[in-house]
Amino acid sequence: MSELLKKMRQRWKLVLGLAITGLFVSVALVIGGAYGLAVTSTEEFCISCHEMKSNVYAEYKGTIHDTNRTGVRAICTNCHVPHEPIDLIKRKIQATGELYHHFVTGSIDTREKFEAKRYELATHVWKRMKETDSHECRNCHKEEKMNLELQTAKAKLRHAKGKAEGLTCIDCHFAIAHKEPEGPGPRELFGPKVATQ
Amino acid sequence: MNRTYVSTILRTLLAVGLTGGAMLVQAQAVDVAAAEKLITDSKCLKCHSVDKKKDGPSFKVTAAKYKGKADAEAKLVTHVTTGPMVEIDGVKEEHTKIKSKDDAAIKNVVHYILSR
Repeated sequence: MSELLKKMRQRWKLVLGLAITGLFVSVALVIGGAYGLAVTSTEEFCISCHEMKSNVYAEYKGTIHDTNRTGVRAICTNCHVPHEPIDLIKRKIQATGELYHHFVTGSIDTREKFEAKRYELATHVWKRMKETDSHECRNCHKEEKMNLELQTAKAKLRHAKGKAEGLTCIDCHFAIAHKEPEGPGPRELFGPKVATQ
Repeated sequence: MNRTYVSTILRTLLAVGLTGGAMLVQAQAVDVAAAEKLITDSKCLKCHSVDKKKDGPSFKVTAAKYKGKADAEAKLVTHVTTGPMVEIDGVKEEHTKIKSKDDAAIKNVVHYILSR
């Protein structure tokens, strides 16, 4: 150990140079990473691919999460990407698969191909929502902060029923931002109880 | 002479058939986008789905129930416009009324449901 320290002291310029370079590289990686995460989480980035722009985004336009009385919006990432750092990075890595399909296989590069895969793609989202108890919905919609006085009698009844049956948001509120795909819904596919991760 | 006569009759029949057919198609043609918009705006999808089970019957179930029935359109128009009492889990509640007073738009939604 003392031998190593001695050598380092003798070549202090190299050591200092390496330390400074290391520091710069780490700072650059942190800033670059944060910038990358931020840019890839914007609406503009998502719709820079025509697969998104002319299919799912076109359907989302005009829905309650796009435009409403107050102008508070939920964009693509609010519903489809977790907010927590580790889960967020995991999801971003997973999304590189989407890049592969965009550039290499072109799996949904025409309307027909997208329609053919719509159901399968929807089930991926439903499955995740069931596993996380509709985590992304709950980032904004806090159950404990819902003012039942302001809900309609019907909504109150349905929410109480859903809770009693162990349902999660997506069990009923599917196809609210995109068209309803034909086939069994989240409840039929994954059962009424919230699945464990 | 006789052949000309038959041919005229056939031609007339064909013309009537084609016109009638075209009128029928026109009557049945559904503006899917408009129907889906009115259905969303009227919050029908809170209780109904196109083909999935919710508290209300799916549009496919309703279409199957009224298939081939002459009074299907009239019955569904009444159902969506007058707010009849419906039973959900043993509790009666008023069916939500469609958010339109336009007869053609309402019929378009009814035809959309019946053609699922």
